[in-house]
Amino acid sequence: MVGEMNSEQAVRGAIQMHSKRVWRFGLALSGTSDVADDLLQSTCLRALERHHQVTSYERLDSWLMTICRSIWLNEVRARSVRRAQALSVTPEAELVATGPDSETNIFAAEVFTQVMQLPEAQRETVMLVFVEGYSYREAAALLDVPIGTIMSRLSNARQKLKTVMQHDLADTARRSGK
Amino acid sequence: MKFSDETLLAYLEGSLDEDQCRAIEAAVEEDVTLEQRLMSLDPFAPVVKQVFEGLPADTPQVDLPEMVAASPVRSSGGYLRLIGVAAATAIAAVALTLWATRPVEPGWAEQAAIYQSLYVPETIASLNSSQQSLDAQFEMAEEKLGRSLNRDALEALPGLELKRAQILSFKGKPLVQIVFADAQGEPFAFCVIRQGPAAPNKDVKQAVLSGLATATWAQDGYGYMLLGSNQQTNLDGELGVLRKTFSG
Repeated sequence: MVGEMNSEQAVRGAIQMHSKRVWRFGLALSGTSDVADDLLQSTCLRALERHHQVTSYERLDSWLMTICRSIWLNEVRARSVRRAQALSVTPEAELVATGPDSETNIFAAEVFTQVMQLPEAQRETVMLVFVEGYSYREAAALLDVPIGTIMSRLSNARQKLKTVMQHDLADTARRSGK
Repeated sequence: MKFSDETLLAYLEGSLDEDQCRAIEAAVEEDVTLEQRLMSLDPFAPVVKQVFEGLPADTPQVDLPEMVAASPVRSSGGYLRLIGVAAATAIAAVALTLWATRPVEPGWAEQAAIYQSLYVPETIASLNSSQQSLDAQFEMAEEKLGRSLNRDALEALPGLELKRAQILSFKGKPLVQIVFADAQGEPFAFCVIRQGPAAPNKDVKQAVLSGLATATWAQDGYGYMLLGSNQQTNLDGELGVLRKTFSG
């Protein structure tokens, strides 16, 4: 059939479509934007090398996320964590505080900092479910843990995010009519 | 078991007791609809999403190798399939030719050499190299790079006078250029780039780039480069010192 994609084209397309998403996941895993840059680059190269393994073109985003996480865990994590401790890296809240309204910026920076200070397991789960919209069971499959673990990680994360968000939560609840 | 929206919201806000929480979590495992309801009620998700979804501001740069060969097209038709294979082969041949003749995109070292080759003695003669301005420049540069630049060792390099530390950037990575004047007032430079912890270590490689003698190496996530002054052909003296100083 004319126009049928081969697996390499599919992987290239997925990289193009999901690069921001993979970068954000790299940020959630590593906590720093320059490691996120490197994780994205390594993930894309690895995915391209392995395009033959792709059997379905659906959910290539999950496949890229899985590769990103395995590179982080197996190749980068130990070194990065050591370095982060040595430099006492603080969350790069300036990444999100870019709007014209300073109050919004302060709030965004607070939420960002709170999320980035969560333990790694909660942080990656929050990123996948809250930001990327994966369902609990999709996140469970991606992170290879039971669905109950996903839910309890999210509960723990909510407890820590509660203080910074309580003002905004009231608004959101009102807006959604609950 | 049925759960009201109020109960689910109380779960999400952390105000249910342990048993009720476990009951909801157990029910979600079996019930996709309940999972969807819970997700849509979660007041935390939209707030966090809003903060993070604008990141990164620009589409991140990914360097991928060119598409070299097209794999056989998955197809069932014999005749069309043959055309497909022929077309794929032709595309592969063109792609290979393009790949072989493609202009090589300059890396950070090539780019730094191009920039440095524009320097003349006048470029650095008028720089303010007071202790005060060097202090400020080094402080900023070290912060940007996230590592020390061992200024003492740089100031002690024989025959070279420290002139300036300047922050540049290559593909979003911080690059610091430290310029010296040699005994004839000719510019000499040492560059450090933060490549990130995933970057491989590289042994010293000497090359002439943009007419300048250069030496590059990489270690522990940083790339280093020496750029000799005009007419300089031997970098061994500086290289020996700096390789040792920046060994980790």
